[in-house]
Amino acid sequence: MSRKHNKLEAINLDAYYGDFHALKGINIAMEEKNVTAFIGPSGCGKSTFLRTFNRMNDYIDGFRTEGDILLDGKDIYTKEVRVDELRKEVGMVFQKPNPFPKTIFENVVYGLKIQGISKKAVLEEAAEKSLKRAALWNEVKDNLNKSALALSGGQQQRLCIARALAISPSVLLMDEPASALDPLSTAKIEELIYELKNDYTIVIVTHNMQQAGRVSDNTAFFYMGELVEYSKTKTMFTSPQDTRTQNYITGRFG
Amino acid sequence: MPHIDVELEKLKKKLLEMWDLVEYQLHSGREAMLKADQVMAEQIIKRDRKVNQFDVKIDRMCENFFALFTPVAVDLRMVLAVLKINANLERIGDTAEGIARFAKKLDAPVNEDLLEMTSLLPMYEEAMSMLNDCRIAFKTNDPVLAKTLIKRDKGLDKIYRKSDRIVTKYMAAHPEKISEALAVLSIIKKVERVGDQVTNIAEEIIFYRDAKVVKHKQDKKKKKD
Amino acid sequence: MTNSEKNRLKDKAFQVFGVFCTFIGLVVLAVFLFDIILEGARRIDWDFLVSLPSRRAARAGILTAWVGTLWILVLTTIIAFPLGVAAGVYLEEYARKSKMANFLEINIANLAGVPSIIYGLLGLEIFVRQMNLGGSLLAGALTLSLLILPIIIVTTREAIKSVPRSVRDGSYALGASKWQTVWNQVLPASFGGILTGIILALSRAVGEAAPLIVIGALAYVPFTPSSPLDEFTVLPIQIFNWTSRPQAEFQTNAAAAIIVLLIITFMLNGIAVYLRNRQQKKIKW
Repeated sequence: MSRKHNKLEAINLDAYYGDFHALKGINIAMEEKNVTAFIGPSGCGKSTFLRTFNRMNDYIDGFRTEGDILLDGKDIYTKEVRVDELRKEVGMVFQKPNPFPKTIFENVVYGLKIQGISKKAVLEEAAEKSLKRAALWNEVKDNLNKSALALSGGQQQRLCIARALAISPSVLLMDEPASALDPLSTAKIEELIYELKNDYTIVIVTHNMQQAGRVSDNTAFFYMGELVEYSKTKTMFTSPQDTRTQNYITGRFG
Repeated sequence: MPHIDVELEKLKKKLLEMWDLVEYQLHSGREAMLKADQVMAEQIIKRDRKVNQFDVKIDRMCENFFALFTPVAVDLRMVLAVLKINANLERIGDTAEGIARFAKKLDAPVNEDLLEMTSLLPMYEEAMSMLNDCRIAFKTNDPVLAKTLIKRDKGLDKIYRKSDRIVTKYMAAHPEKISEALAVLSIIKKVERVGDQVTNIAEEIIFYRDAKVVKHKQDKKKKKD
Repeated sequence: MTNSEKNRLKDKAFQVFGVFCTFIGLVVLAVFLFDIILEGARRIDWDFLVSLPSRRAARAGILTAWVGTLWILVLTTIIAFPLGVAAGVYLEEYARKSKMANFLEINIANLAGVPSIIYGLLGLEIFVRQMNLGGSLLAGALTLSLLILPIIIVTTREAIKSVPRSVRDGSYALGASKWQTVWNQVLPASFGGILTGIILALSRAVGEAAPLIVIGALAYVPFTPSSPLDEFTVLPIQIFNWTSRPQAEFQTNAAAAIIVLLIITFMLNGIAVYLRNRQQKKIKW
């Protein structure tokens, strides 16, 4: 097997919200076409960290970082990097399904439209491809002009994944993508993640330990802004090195 | 195929590979015994290390599976069954190694009359055939076939119970062949153990498919009487 | 009496009191409407709507008044809508939390509380005299725009605020700029709310007489205005004019004009309610 290169890296990363030190000296490297899970108690910094990879924290007043975040070996926090270009490469799916109050079709092609692509044939092809990839095509192909808000929660979330895939990113960030869904929809999303990792580098924040176990190759445990442990998921779930990790994954604190 | 099924399939495949190896060990043990082939016996003993590696590997895989997938219902029973079948296969492997050790001590092929009287060969054949059928039962998820194995084990027990007297008689008649006769008796004992272990495996298959506990049924019946 | 019985009694008492309070407002309105309709309804006919004002009550009509009101409505909308919405978008989406933004916010809140006659004086000085527009429709529309701008800004901000953060996040995450996000997502999603606010603001502007009187909108205009620079009158001024006359016939005319004015206001409010309901049905966050 050819050696995979590091898609995402953080080097000595510190992050602050005003005076609050949210991330403390994080060092991590994530291989391409792998699923990495971020776990840890609420407020441990895992979501903050996830959002540094597409600079979603930029909109928060008083947020700043020190250290480097690399995408394919290039720092994304330099002045030359344009945030909209970065986000074409790094897609994101949020905790609560957040389809736009528009039709299903409009939702999927939104990312392309704002890039200035308006040819109907191109948009239609992209929509079909993305919806198929997100395992939603068969359920919505006859209703593409129906409002996205009429879909079920699980369908909405898969629509959001399709929407992210439509602009062909190479990285997919998922912030607790199934925490607002019922078990069956959750299972579908997890299967989808398992499928997608053949083509995408996926980082997923989750509160659900079993979910981290089922979907991820590697797991990173965060606690109070620190990266406590980062290893293969099966290693972490059978023999964690740090007692804090042990206590967290066995449900003894957090 | 869902992710969990992919992983289960991997586990099952690994166990079947181990099964093949154990069957081969048992088969080789018989050859070594019949031909008093010490080189072959040595190879069997060496190969047991491979069986042990399988044992460790499958244990590890099951551990990971529990940790990562927290299985329930049929998945849970499947992994529990694999874990126990693994332990039984490992012991059958040890039994084959034990047979090889006795074969190594033999100076010449075992006396034909003794083999004939004790029915060691048909017993050995039956044990191997049971192990093979059990493999099929596991592979095809066939609890009916598994149930027949439990009955077939009774045949082995019968041969085993008679063997004491037969061998004693033989030893009295041929005092110069006492050590050979003792070796045969030990091998019979070991083959009988194989039958028991196959039974255990069959019980695990029934548990995994039908969620029914069939082992220790005899004990309960006896207690009631 | 046990404690829980006492509590239940208090509960009942408050309910009765609440119903009473609610009805006071409604009853007063109903009495007022009844009185007006009784007096004015028989006066309303086609002639009344299409006749010019006259010194003789029986021949007088409200043509110039309602055409003027319509003109004022349209002009005010054209002026206040883009200004108010743009200001609201700026304050809500772009303005950083700074002293400047705070200052602007406080002043907008203050403006909403300024009595309308003050706006009239402001309009008189700036539009009528400095800009030399005279007592024209344009001067009136500009003055009323000033009056309702704070309302539009505040309702625009409220409507924009009600668009959930997750929609903006979703748009940003797909590489959209701030402007693209506002234009493609925030404004369409909040449009119903904004429109409701504007219509309610307009229905207030329709009823205003004081600032227009100050800038010199005449009560007697013998022609319907044909351009924004023409002189004009509006319904409230016509009503004011008629009620200040001693003859009983003019009182009847006033009552009839009030009915027309009320119908216009109710229609505007009705449209606002309809839009709000449709918005709520269409978008469930």
